[in-house]
Amino acid sequence: MEASKIDRIVRQYGARESAILAILQDIQAEEKYLPRETLEYVSQKMRIPMVHVFRIATFYNALSLKPRGRHKIDVCLGTACHVRGGDKILDKLERDLGISVGETTKDKRFTLESVHCVGCCSLGPVAVIDGDVHGRLSQEKVPGLLKDFK
Amino acid sequence: MPKLKIDGLEIEVERGTKVIEAAARLGIIIPRFCFHPGLGPVGACRVCAVKFEEGPVKGVQMSCMTDAQDGMVVSTTDEEAADFRKHVIEWLMMNHPHDCPVCDEGGHCLLQDLTVAGGHGIRRYLGKKRTYNDQYLGVFVQHEMNRCIQCWRCRRFYQEFAGYRDLGALQIAHHTYFGRATDGQLESPFSGNIIDICPTGVYTDKPSRFTGRRWDFERGPSLCIHCSLGCHIITSARYREMTRLEARFSESVNGYFICDRGRYGFYYTNHPERPRRARIRTEEVSLDQAIQTAAQKIIQINQKNGPKAIACLGSARSCVENQAMLIRFCRVQGWNEPTYFETPTMAKKVKRAVARLDEQLAVSMREIEKADFILAVGADPVNEAPMLALAMRQAFRNEATIVVIDPRPVFLPFEFEHLPVAPDDLEPCLTALIKGAVHRSAAEKMGEEALRFYDTAPAEYPDAPIKNRMVKITQKLRQSRYPVIICGTSIVRETTPDVAADSALLLRAARGRAGLFYLMSEANTFGAALLSSEEGSVMDVVESIEKGSVKGLMLVESDPFRSFPDYERLKQAVDKLDLFLVMDYLPSFAARLAHLFFPTQTLFEMETSFVNQEGRVQFATSAYRGGIPISQISAGGHPLRVFRRDIPGGESQPAWQILAKLANIISLPGREMFSLSKNELWSWIAKEYPIFANVPIADELPDDVRVHLAQGREKLFPSGGQIRSGGLSRENSTLELVMGDWTFGTEELSTYSKYLQQVEKEPCLFMSPKDASMLGLKDRERITLPLDKGRLEMELRIVDTMAPGVIVMPKHRQLAWQKIEKWPVKVAMGQIRK
Repeated sequence: MEASKIDRIVRQYGARESAILAILQDIQAEEKYLPRETLEYVSQKMRIPMVHVFRIATFYNALSLKPRGRHKIDVCLGTACHVRGGDKILDKLERDLGISVGETTKDKRFTLESVHCVGCCSLGPVAVIDGDVHGRLSQEKVPGLLKDFK
Repeated sequence: MPKLKIDGLEIEVERGTKVIEAAARLGIIIPRFCFHPGLGPVGACRVCAVKFEEGPVKGVQMSCMTDAQDGMVVSTTDEEAADFRKHVIEWLMMNHPHDCPVCDEGGHCLLQDLTVAGGHGIRRYLGKKRTYNDQYLGVFVQHEMNRCIQCWRCRRFYQEFAGYRDLGALQIAHHTYFGRATDGQLESPFSGNIIDICPTGVYTDKPSRFTGRRWDFERGPSLCIHCSLGCHIITSARYREMTRLEARFSESVNGYFICDRGRYGFYYTNHPERPRRARIRTEEVSLDQAIQTAAQKIIQINQKNGPKAIACLGSARSCVENQAMLIRFCRVQGWNEPTYFETPTMAKKVKRAVARLDEQLAVSMREIEKADFILAVGADPVNEAPMLALAMRQAFRNEATIVVIDPRPVFLPFEFEHLPVAPDDLEPCLTALIKGAVHRSAAEKMGEEALRFYDTAPAEYPDAPIKNRMVKITQKLRQSRYPVIICGTSIVRETTPDVAADSALLLRAARGRAGLFYLMSEANTFGAALLSSEEGSVMDVVESIEKGSVKGLMLVESDPFRSFPDYERLKQAVDKLDLFLVMDYLPSFAARLAHLFFPTQTLFEMETSFVNQEGRVQFATSAYRGGIPISQISAGGHPLRVFRRDIPGGESQPAWQILAKLANIISLPGREMFSLSKNELWSWIAKEYPIFANVPIADELPDDVRVHLAQGREKLFPSGGQIRSGGLSRENSTLELVMGDWTFGTEELSTYSKYLQQVEKEPCLFMSPKDASMLGLKDRERITLPLDKGRLEMELRIVDTMAPGVIVMPKHRQLAWQKIEKWPVKVAMGQIRK
């Protein structure tokens, strides 16, 4: 990420230490992940120790230190989805995409993650793709679900 | 005050006391991992659960998170609570590796103790354990994250208590990782404390790794002598080798922690080149033979040139016993009194500080934590006395205002106001602050002298930016309820200790309460100043040798070649001597040149006492009996089984005993004979110096006693009318050279430590941006600095946190800076070149 772009994001929040999460979120939105060099630049620019930047970057599931795919699939494994077979959906996705949870496909098309409840338990089992909730899933529905994403 | 009942015992505690602390006062130690009395509660581990039977809280609760309240009835042995704790330990053990046999913490591990005590024996969880990658954390600390039970003690100490931010917590929940962003040496000079406080083996002591279990060591209470604060420590020795050092709790000095200079500075005592045999020139002889030869030579010189022809230098790193015996020795022989200070200025400064510190003004480090305004003058705590910085940080955490008046680029691990002014301007800057905060009427009440001091002291600091910043500071000072003045004695002027004391008196008169805290250069500088009656200095001795009036020189644990500003001159003087006698335990340069050398014992081998910078007499027991470490004679293998009566290399004796033996041979018949008993020496000290009369020397490890000279006899406000206005004498064509200390690399004893040598930073010259731009110099350039007797080459660092008109350089081990004729040193500006 170019320095000027990072500068703009940092400036937007007045370079306050308390805004570090919002700054990292913006970088994540732009880059789909948090490149190490970018974090180092933010740490120096804002005079926040690297370990503190890392603490935020590794604390939240929404932030990633590894490059992500163009589309993010979050499979819910919360209690309700678990009872209704959320792990089977995850299993099917892992087999179809050829990756394990937390990984990104080689063609950078998908990143597969698991989450613990997205707040619509009545629809379970649920997967969230790029922010859109897909409910009442079954293993059979999975291939059709993926085909619309390029 | 709340009154509660714990396990049937009643106790009354102050409001805000946690139940776990109240129980500890009754002698009931409730299990804990995250709670630490120095760090407070956090409620992370859940192992301190107890049952609240009666009172405002009911049921099983965390005793570290619950304030003691009236009417509480607490049971620590309740079945439900004990079962709860047992399961907490089981789940903390779920991911903990079963590597106790190869873990250095084994044997003094809190987790190990509580697992056994809690009754968790059989593992039920059969899944995989969570694992981590470890980091390289530098020379001192070994990292093993798999053992972590997430108590947060390390992070809480490192970031909150100590104020450094390169080690912290990463990730979340059961993945939480304590470490740095990348591998590397921990930046904090207090990093070793995380080893002490970690309840298990995540952080272990790297230099002493795999050297033994706790019960293998000879352990004992001792003192740290790597600065003037005198922190309390525990020593561990094995196989005739000092192996490890830990912090020992002290109510009034260091609390629970020590700095890394203290923790890893002790390796001088195991130094492979440490001289352990007596020598006549280069020939090794027995100690008795060397004493006999020395006695003959001394008698010869005394007969030929009189008793004043032999001079003695002691040192401020020597214990009270050595210093006192040397003085007693000289008095009985009719010699000049020994010298303890490098320059007359240094002697005067320290003596004035000692004279002015009285029982009411003197504060301990723990009291500094309670101050709400700290004013440090000519002091650089992190570099001179690291633990003081930690005490100041605790005051800062309690919202104290902290102001440092110092020309050097002072760094402290918290926010503070730095007024960078030249050494000449320290006093006017201080008095301007005091005058701004103290009303004239307060001085008036204290008498004529105080009023004269008040009226003649400059009221304003001429430099505009600093003057403006002082307005806000004086406002704060005016509202302060407990101000403390910290005054250094290294870079300040002769009168500064007096001005600091007088300022503290005025503050006390105005605010009702005030404290005074001096920093001194070495562990027993205070003792040396109390005991020595003369203000002689090494400079005077060198002059006498040059004039020919002194023919013999005796050094007792002193290495003037390290500290004397003019190496060439000292070397020539020593070459002229008929007798050069050295007693020491360091492989010093002076020891190598000695005509006669006597090996002495270190602090760890003898029972000693030191007086710290607040006048506290403190005691140390011997850790082991000395001798050459087995590792150094066995070439790594198993030592030979040879039976002998003595300890190999164990000829060293306390310097004071060698002196006593020497004195008994050379003394004329009829003169006092010296005993080798420590109690006899102390009764002499108590007789000659009545302030030591209260020292309870007969006890095995006596409690500390504070000794203060000032008892109303000292003249107050002596510098009235003498403080000139600041910023007047500044010449634009010269820069004043200020030589300071660094945490690692300048303190004599610790520079012999192979581990501290690895973390020393390379010496450099600090300059303000203003001066650098005038000279056209850039940051990190190699420059040449001309001194009286040669030049020095080093890197230039331009920092904006220091005073213009001043250049700052450390008295660094790696820097042959001893090319100075006399202090203060002014360097012509144009002479500093690339």
